[in-house]
Amino acid sequence: MTTLNQTIQDVFNEPGCGKNQAKSEKERKKGCTKQLQPGGAAGGCAFDGAKIALQPITDVAHLVHGPIACEGNSWDNRGAKSSGSSLYRTGFTTDMTENDIVFGGEKHLFKAIREIVEKYAPPAVFVYQTCVPAMIGDDIDAVCKAAAAKFGTPCIPIQSPGFVGPKNLGNKLAGEAMLKHVIGTEEPEHTTPYDINIIGEYNLAGELWQVKPLLDELGIRILSCISGDAKYKEVAWSHRAKAAMMVCSKAMINVARKMEERYDIPFFEGSFYGIGDMSDSLREIARLLIERGADPELMDRTQAVIAREEARAWAAIEPYRERLTGKKVLLVTGGVKSWSVVAALQEAGMEIAGTSIKKSTKEDKEKIKKLMGDDAHMFDDLTPREMYRKLKTAEADIMLSGGRSQFVALKATMPWMDINQERHAAFAGYHGMVEMVKEIDRTLSNPVWQEVRRPAPWERAGAASWMDRAIDEDSLPATATGPTDQGREAA
Amino acid sequence: MPQDANQVKDHFELFRGEEYTDMLAKKKAEFENPHPAEEVAKVREWAKTEEYKDLNFSREALTINPAKACQPLGAVFAAVGFESTLPFVHGSQGCVAYYRSHFSRHFKEPTSCVSSSMTEDAAVFGGLNNMVDGLANAYNMYKPKMIAVSTTCMAEVIGDDLNAYIKTAKEKESLPQEFDVPFAHTPAFVGSHITGYDNAMKGILEHFWDGKANTVDKMVREPNGKINFLGGFDGYAVGNLREVKRIFDMMKIEYTILGDQSDVWDTPTDGEFRMYDGGTTLEDAANALHAKATISMQQYCTEKTLPFIANHGQETAAFNHPIGVEATDSFIMEVARLAGVEIPDELAKERGRLVDAIADSNAHIHGKKFAIYGDPDLAYGLAKFVMELGGEPVVVLATNGGKAWAAKMQELFDSSPFGANCKAYPGKDLWHMRSLLFTEKPDFLIGNTYGKYLERDTGVPLIRIGFPIFDRHHKHRYPVWGYQGGLNVLVTILDRIFEHMDATTNVPSKTDYSYDIIR
Repeated sequence: MTTLNQTIQDVFNEPGCGKNQAKSEKERKKGCTKQLQPGGAAGGCAFDGAKIALQPITDVAHLVHGPIACEGNSWDNRGAKSSGSSLYRTGFTTDMTENDIVFGGEKHLFKAIREIVEKYAPPAVFVYQTCVPAMIGDDIDAVCKAAAAKFGTPCIPIQSPGFVGPKNLGNKLAGEAMLKHVIGTEEPEHTTPYDINIIGEYNLAGELWQVKPLLDELGIRILSCISGDAKYKEVAWSHRAKAAMMVCSKAMINVARKMEERYDIPFFEGSFYGIGDMSDSLREIARLLIERGADPELMDRTQAVIAREEARAWAAIEPYRERLTGKKVLLVTGGVKSWSVVAALQEAGMEIAGTSIKKSTKEDKEKIKKLMGDDAHMFDDLTPREMYRKLKTAEADIMLSGGRSQFVALKATMPWMDINQERHAAFAGYHGMVEMVKEIDRTLSNPVWQEVRRPAPWERAGAASWMDRAIDEDSLPATATGPTDQGREAA
Repeated sequence: MPQDANQVKDHFELFRGEEYTDMLAKKKAEFENPHPAEEVAKVREWAKTEEYKDLNFSREALTINPAKACQPLGAVFAAVGFESTLPFVHGSQGCVAYYRSHFSRHFKEPTSCVSSSMTEDAAVFGGLNNMVDGLANAYNMYKPKMIAVSTTCMAEVIGDDLNAYIKTAKEKESLPQEFDVPFAHTPAFVGSHITGYDNAMKGILEHFWDGKANTVDKMVREPNGKINFLGGFDGYAVGNLREVKRIFDMMKIEYTILGDQSDVWDTPTDGEFRMYDGGTTLEDAANALHAKATISMQQYCTEKTLPFIANHGQETAAFNHPIGVEATDSFIMEVARLAGVEIPDELAKERGRLVDAIADSNAHIHGKKFAIYGDPDLAYGLAKFVMELGGEPVVVLATNGGKAWAAKMQELFDSSPFGANCKAYPGKDLWHMRSLLFTEKPDFLIGNTYGKYLERDTGVPLIRIGFPIFDRHHKHRYPVWGYQGGLNVLVTILDRIFEHMDATTNVPSKTDYSYDIIR
């Protein structure tokens, strides 16, 4: 069994995941994601998952070993913000061609690493394995080892060929690479009892920055964020943190759990979305730090900050509550957002018409039930047609989802707002919640929604529109299944 | 040496050289006796205040940076839209040189137009001789099928009688008796270029329909099912008229474009110089009398022409430079109603595509504040479209707009919450606009090329829509009418918003964390 297979099996056996542990050993070996349906529209691959999980590490050169497809399509495609280096936005690839595939691409890769080191002198080079070099047997572990020895720059192999599985697996494989090659390789200049890690936060649209000032105010230091706005060294010395918060449950649970095992860093799963969740997270951080030896007065200060910020946020949301109360939201996202956003929206007086649980864990689902009651509309696989029907039949006033579902909403003449990785408004923290409510209000009130729902004024009243026909078709006995839209959203 | 014969620098570089910067600094320090820099800065800041704005708005005599041009410019615009028609401006030739260069700079095409070149003696004794000689020369040299006469201020001040002069010229055999010479009095001291368009268009129709200045019998209207179309003075004539023709063809309508400039201002480079190209044939212009109805795309460009046509028994409809979904809906439906045709599915699809595009991009325009200036109809059309996009116009200004226009604008603002904070400014100039940009603080300015100084002074990014556009090329080729045109305007607005976003986020390691690939 190859190392990659071992790693994958290791990832498939995740004690931190309740769902995983409930499976038989045989089932577990198959992994935790459903087999993709050939012929159906598919989501991202393991490479994509690994790349998006690590790309927010800003000062590293992310070198994609493969033909142009992999980097060509993924280059700088997420809005993870950096406070310093912008090297992570430069697209590095070996751009493999026919000769490489016939003769092997290892030398090519080695030379590429050398050129990066010579031209950019980054603190580290991350080398991503993709399908083609994996199939022809390029040993990127060996190349990285040789290159690191030769150039004195850490070269980190990320074993993530696309064919091993979906995006979520790639997130975990990226985490494994960090655990294996990066975490614990550097020491911070100093440590404090207030050092934490934030795991699974990507600083999309600068969300981490909306939270950081509060932590700063409390004297809590983000020793390392994996991986939003992170520097290589910060990740490398993250093992010295006193506690950790895990933000995106399914993506990096292996990192949090293994760091707890190896370095005794306790973690909790929390969210920066929603006022209540934000407060819970701050309290949890304080609690864990105090457990690990921080001054107990930290909790008092935390409570004071929470009280102040909550009051401010409520006051800022109040003017919108009136306009948003009773508005029905369809949530098509995944993982932690399937519940963390629910609470946030309910705070603004909105109703949840349904939430997707495609990538949610058992705990996620429990939390949804707690928030929305037992009759919560949870759906696993929402086909575009079903999504369309829900929107069209006015079970919802607005859909919140990632960019790739937006068009279903738009064609169904339904307001839509981006809450996933490609958005530009930051929704984390207390301010972020206010911002999200403001954005929802803005989106709902845009005149174009009246326009999209109005048929062309010359259409005869009562005539069946193409939209009505589409829904009629949908209610016919299902002989052929529509295209499924699997694993669309990011981790 | 500031210049090197082997590599001569142009103005972009030359004056940035040390020799020049030193020299200019010295000149300033030693000879200019300038106000202290702090004083200049102080006044500059003061000019941004409400106090200054109030003083600015109490200006009585002085117009600074007017956003309008003169009547004969509009008359020339109308005239070149007819088949082999030579615009002939009776008056001083300098004016005519302006019209030609003005149009050529905008359309990037030659504009043929002649003048009767009045001089001092003509100003004293009247311009008859200039008219007689001018018509004869123009007819013989340029072989037009029609000469459309308009006037400059000079001829108007001394009161030259065009009707009598043209008659005399024909008697003196400057041109054949039956040769078409429509005319319009177009003094620049009344109205603006849109008035001139109106007068010239009315003059041409009057000529054909009402007996060619009493030389033939008046035509008798025999109604048919055709539709006449008047574009009005429109910087987008090339793209717009072609788009309108495409739409009409799609709708299978029989129509006459009255004044079709789309070919003469877009001639191909194929070795042949076309002094005239395309345009409404004289026959069509005459037969337009029989049409069922006439549609004007610009109410304020056809305030005289349209009632004139209505008086001849046609139904008329006027729009205000319709841009966007709702405005185009009204236009298309009115056309369909008048022509008695069904609206084709293909057009409904184009509509859906525009709605789709607006929905895709709504988040970026929603809530942005816009200041808009331009001709009254264009300003109206743009304001309406901006509101449809969820943008908020805060200032809409038309130097050549009147009270009735302002009232109509106000009605538009009152129709939607997105117009709640907007005011119309009739008869104001771009220096008023400058104050308004400081005090009302819009996010973007929509206007013509002259808005670039406002953009520089106030920092409010300019979206170039209007006439003239001198410093960007070929915008006139892209329609702003029809659903397709709405899409073009949407993209123009979005482009500038995104450019601005990029320009304010592009400092490496400082603001470029938001310098994103995906917007």
